[in-house]
Amino acid sequence: MLEPTAPRRKAPLDTRHQVETPEGIDLPLRPAGLMVRAVAFAIDLGIRGLILGVLFIALAFLGKLGMGLGSLLLFAISWWYMVLFEVLRQGRSPGKQWLGLRVVHDDGTPIGWSASLLRNLLRFVDLLPFGYFLGALSCLQHPTFKRLGDIAAGTLVVYSERPLSRPQLPDAEPRRSPVPLTLSEQRAVLGFAERQAELSPARVNELAALLAQPLHISAPKAVSEINGIAHGLLGPTP
Amino acid sequence: MRLSDASVVIRPRTTWEAMDLGVLMSQQHRRLLMTSWAIVTLPLFALLSLLLWDSPSLAVFIFWWLKPAYERLPLYILSKALFGETPTLKQALREWPRLLKPQLLASLTWRRLSLSRSFVLPVTQLEGLDGEARQQRLQVLLQRNGGAAQWLTIIGVHLETALWIGLMLLFYMLLPQQIETDWDWQSLLLAADQDWRWLEHLTNVFYALILVAWGPVYVACGFSLYLNRRTQLEAWDIELVFRRLRQRLNSSVLGVLLAACLLLPNLQPVWASDAPDAPRLLNQPLTSQAARDSIQSLLEQPPFKNKESVTRYRFADDPASPAKDAQPGEAPQWLKTLLGWLDGRHLDALANVIEVLLWGALIAALGWLVWRYREFLRAFVSRRPNLPSRSKPPAPPHVFGLDLNRETLPDDIAASAEQLWLSEPRAALGLLYRGLLSHLLHDFDLTLKAADTESQILNRIEQLQRPDLLAYSRNLTVHWQNMAYGHRLPAAHLQAELCNGWRELFSKGSGH
Repeated sequence: MLEPTAPRRKAPLDTRHQVETPEGIDLPLRPAGLMVRAVAFAIDLGIRGLILGVLFIALAFLGKLGMGLGSLLLFAISWWYMVLFEVLRQGRSPGKQWLGLRVVHDDGTPIGWSASLLRNLLRFVDLLPFGYFLGALSCLQHPTFKRLGDIAAGTLVVYSERPLSRPQLPDAEPRRSPVPLTLSEQRAVLGFAERQAELSPARVNELAALLAQPLHISAPKAVSEINGIAHGLLGPTP
Repeated sequence: MRLSDASVVIRPRTTWEAMDLGVLMSQQHRRLLMTSWAIVTLPLFALLSLLLWDSPSLAVFIFWWLKPAYERLPLYILSKALFGETPTLKQALREWPRLLKPQLLASLTWRRLSLSRSFVLPVTQLEGLDGEARQQRLQVLLQRNGGAAQWLTIIGVHLETALWIGLMLLFYMLLPQQIETDWDWQSLLLAADQDWRWLEHLTNVFYALILVAWGPVYVACGFSLYLNRRTQLEAWDIELVFRRLRQRLNSSVLGVLLAACLLLPNLQPVWASDAPDAPRLLNQPLTSQAARDSIQSLLEQPPFKNKESVTRYRFADDPASPAKDAQPGEAPQWLKTLLGWLDGRHLDALANVIEVLLWGALIAALGWLVWRYREFLRAFVSRRPNLPSRSKPPAPPHVFGLDLNRETLPDDIAASAEQLWLSEPRAALGLLYRGLLSHLLHDFDLTLKAADTESQILNRIEQLQRPDLLAYSRNLTVHWQNMAYGHRLPAAHLQAELCNGWRELFSKGSGH
């Protein structure tokens, strides 16, 4: 008989992976799973195939020299493409960059030569017996989505942080919150104001009504009041 | 549905991250999901294979076509588990027939080939929407994450194929050598169907096994995409925090009122002592300022703070030198001349040159490696490591200031001493003693050190087991010490005694 697998009160499941630095700072990393990595790999594979195809056609005219150069090229591209891009471009091959991924060490530091070489050499283990069979299974089973090469090299594929744009808040008179708010509550108030455009008006009113009574504001004016608090939290905008 | 009970962190994610959350959810309930899936699908697959024994492809096609029917079970389990009510295996299996009822025909016919199947399934199964309402709902939901759901299905198709072929290859690799020889792929393709039917069914089994692993993950990913879309659309995360804030404020208002009523008299001194910036503990021998200073200085020291300055070479960014601008006209010209030059038979010569260079580089690299790790390799090559031979320390040419080199001594020491005795007795005795030490050093191979004293030398001589030598040396040493340190001249008769003694000892041995 199978027991329910999850105990009732466990830390809730999240795609964030906390790394604690020696200074006691928590760095949230977001490991990337099999699907996005498969797409990134397909893009890289396409780029490599394209480069090799074009160069082989060009080298076909050069006779024996062309053959020699071609095999050198094949070696260089199949073994060094990933390594060079990862080490010299902050862990991003073109496919990974396209999808906003990067490779880092387990502790979040930029990937170095040894780790990158190891994880890419072990691709040949992940490939076995066909088409990343082992790699895919390992990726699906590992809590931080590592394939075997990543486990051996101690690396992690994470989503890179995108630059933030300044949020557009709906117009309201800035005002002070009547009660002190914790960080997550401030974030929620700001998020409420920022994401208002995506929500239906009925839902916006429903959410605002939740806070009308505890903040001592009248229900009809709750939305604009909370927007005002968000403006107050955001500070003066240039 | 109570959001605060959710067993996952609710926040808006990117679509890829939402899929990753699905993978995590399926990991958390892996055993339950895979077991239930296997219990449902494998008997069905066996039944299909038996019924359609003569057409294995049709059997696996029907099995594949029925996938939406199996997918309802993992979704049920996951949706229950999301709010912490994970069903047991028995409960889940008992629920399955009921789950199949709504809209099964539609999902197995015209909706079967929809690429966003996994994303749409929760709308049908969990929201129970049908007809017009379902269409409207999907229109809203599919505005954003529809593309991701389609990608999920496309990736899933490729992954299933790769895993399927992988499992077949694995099976082929694990075959013993004897059987493998009979299995030519050509003969497999061309052989009469009858003989190899069981093999086709076997490959179909592999597909069913692959689905046990992948099916629940696919459903979980679709479900988490659906959750993510609804989180964005309805701001679930904000609702969650707002509800918590309301709870905090309402309870804290009550709490403060209660506390104020009951504890007001007691609170006063607590507040007074709690002023954070006022200097405290001023009358003790250890003031708080001193304590803070010493803590600060401790924190600056090694276990807490390890400072090191690292000096490395790096390329200086020289702002003075202008960046080399690539001249656009140059490259094609250069390439053209190169290509023109490369065209022709001397290419092969160049190829040979490059080949030689590459081999040379390889050999040089190997040589360098061997040289670099020569100590390491030597441990394997020679049986006994060639320890650096303990070279005998060179005999000290001087012992307490006396020069013991043989060249500095006269040939006939006794005669020279006799000559010197009258004019410079000190030099004569010195010569004799120096000669003795030199003989000990060179003829008897006695190890003398520059730090030895006279008595230590006598002890060494004792170990030589030469009584005559020992007696003479004692005699000479006593007189030498009297002379050198006590400035007492030796009696005249000693001259003959010492010189003759010398001759007796060494004149016969001087030959060797």
